This record gives sequence, C-alpha cells and structure tokens, in this order.
Amino acid sequence: MEEQKTNMFIPALIGGGIAGVLSGIPIMNCLCCLWIIGGGIAAVFFLNKESPRPLTMGDGAVVGIFSGLVATAADFLVSIPLAPITNKFIANLMERFAQYADEMPSGWETWLDKGAAETHISLVLLGVLINAVVFSVLGALGGIIGVSLFKKDKMKQGEKDVIDVSKDSTTVKDADNNQS
Amino acid sequence: MVEKKIFRIVFIFTLVGVIGWLALIFIAPFLRSLDIPANSFIYAIFSPICHQNPSRCFYLFGYPLAVCTRCLGIYFGFFLGTLIFPVVNGFKSKRAPKNLIFFIFTVPIVIDTLGNMFHLWQTSDWLRYVIGFIWGTLLPYYFIVGISEFIKEWVIHRKV
Repeated sequence: MEEQKTNMFIPALIGGGIAGVLSGIPIMNCLCCLWIIGGGIAAVFFLNKESPRPLTMGDGAVVGIFSGLVATAADFLVSIPLAPITNKFIANLMERFAQYADEMPSGWETWLDKGAAETHISLVLLGVLINAVVFSVLGALGGIIGVSLFKKDKMKQGEKDVIDVSKDSTTVKDADNNQS
Repeated sequence: MVEKKIFRIVFIFTLVGVIGWLALIFIAPFLRSLDIPANSFIYAIFSPICHQNPSRCFYLFGYPLAVCTRCLGIYFGFFLGTLIFPVVNGFKSKRAPKNLIFFIFTVPIVIDTLGNMFHLWQTSDWLRYVIGFIWGTLLPYYFIVGISEFIKEWVIHRKV
C-alpha cells in the first residue's frame, strides 16, 4: 500500500501542478472547475502508464484527491506573484459589474483598494482550506473519470501480465471481480 | 449488503452536498442585496473554481449569482443526475458510464468552451447553461459509483 501511495505521488504532482497553475492564471481560469477535473484525469493517465496492475476507481479517487491538494498549493503559490495582475483583472470585472448591476453596495470602490493588504492571515488560511476541500472533491471526480476512460486498455494488457497476488491480494480480487 | 449500504450513504451525502452547494450560489446575491458582509465570503468560496464574470452570470436581487451560467448548469445537471440516480442505476451497477457516453456528453462543453475561449464565437448565457447542464447530469454516475468504491477499497477493506 505504501508503495502504491508513493507511485501515486508523481502523477498527482504533475496533474495537480498543471491544473493548479492554469486555474490560478486570471485569463486561463475561464475553464472554471474543468481544470481541476482535468488535472485528476491527467494524474490517472500518468499513473495508469506506470501501474503494473489495472487501476480501480478507488485508486482513481485517491490520486485525484492528491492532485486536488497539489492543485490547491500550486494555485496558492501562483496567486502570490500574480496578485497585481489579478487585482487589475478584478478591477476590470468590477467595472463591468457596475454596468450590469442595478445598485452597488456602499463603498465597493474602496473595498478593492483595501485589497490584499488588509486580508487577515486567518482568512487566507481559511480560503486555502476551503480550496483544498473543493479541489479534492473535483480532483477525485476527475480521477474516477480518468480510471473509467483509461481502464479498458490496461485491462487488456493486465490480462496478459501475471499479477503478483502476494503483494496485494485484496485489490487483485477486486480487479478480478470488476473484470467479471 | 454492506456495499449497497455504502452506495446509499454516498448517494445521500452527495444529494445533500449538491443541494447545499446550490443554495450557497443563490444565497450570495441575496446577502449582497441586504449588504450583509458574509456575501463576500460566499463569492470568495466559488472564486477559485469559477471566473464569476458578471456578464456571464444570471442575476438575482440585482446581483450576479456566485457562479457563471455554465457552472450553474453543471451543478443543476449534477443535482438532477443525482436525483434520478436510484432510478437509472438502482444502486446495482458498480460500473461507470461507457466511454462513448462520456464523449457524447463532453464534446459539446469542450467545443463551446474552447470556441468562447479563443473568441471564435460567443454563446448565449442560456445555451452555456444548457451545455453545462447536459455535462453535469453525467457526473454523478462517476462520482457516486467511484466514491462508493473508494470507501469500500480504501477504508473498509484496509481495516479488515
């Protein structure tokens, strides 16, 4: 199991890293949650290439959760240097928002000026925590979809390969059940 | 027996979760209309997973919902998909939808998103909503099945 977890780390790092960076860039984030789901799918794609046995949906969910956590960290790290650009982007959005909204809340212009400088560290941490939960759920969804997409080819290959039963008998049993 | 129980529990949690998620989307503009500061917090929850471009949002009480029309469609689709999950799946099938079905449901959202992203065309809000909705209806059939399998494999079997 420990070996399996270690094997999942690199794919999760790649999938989650790409997804987190892309979702953190203001212009690129128009794909919304699709980046994080895509990151989970990508992580499973890489794991599937390396895995000696057919992946189960549980594996997909786990690697997806890991990729979601990596994406959270990447998104947070990217958001720090990009903060000035993001603020400008938000300012543009707010201007457009003003055109569309009937009434703006009092003092919304100054709210932007206060910006990140007055953001309390506890609020930042809370934001990261919420991100981690949401990204993990979306990553898990991506991971499960990824297993469903890539499993078939691996199954064919898995039938040819002899699986070492002694290593992980429970999972092999499950894989057999799924095949039947 | 245990598997079916896990299936049902995951289904209930997913249904409750998506209802809560949708409620937050609608509560945000309501709170903003009342000038209650908590509205910013709710908008902030959704900001990492949605661009929240006001020109691409539906409005309530004079303010945009917490997510864009496409995301709203995905979440409402997810809600409907979850709601009809017991009828379609019957808590029996442990298989995810076939790849062909996934591609049929996914191609519209991919084409539309890329087309809009590269300014090839501009889709109306309602069409974005519908395209998101179509894709969203498929997702619970991965999520509920996959999370049930995850709990079975990684939580229950590891304990035994």
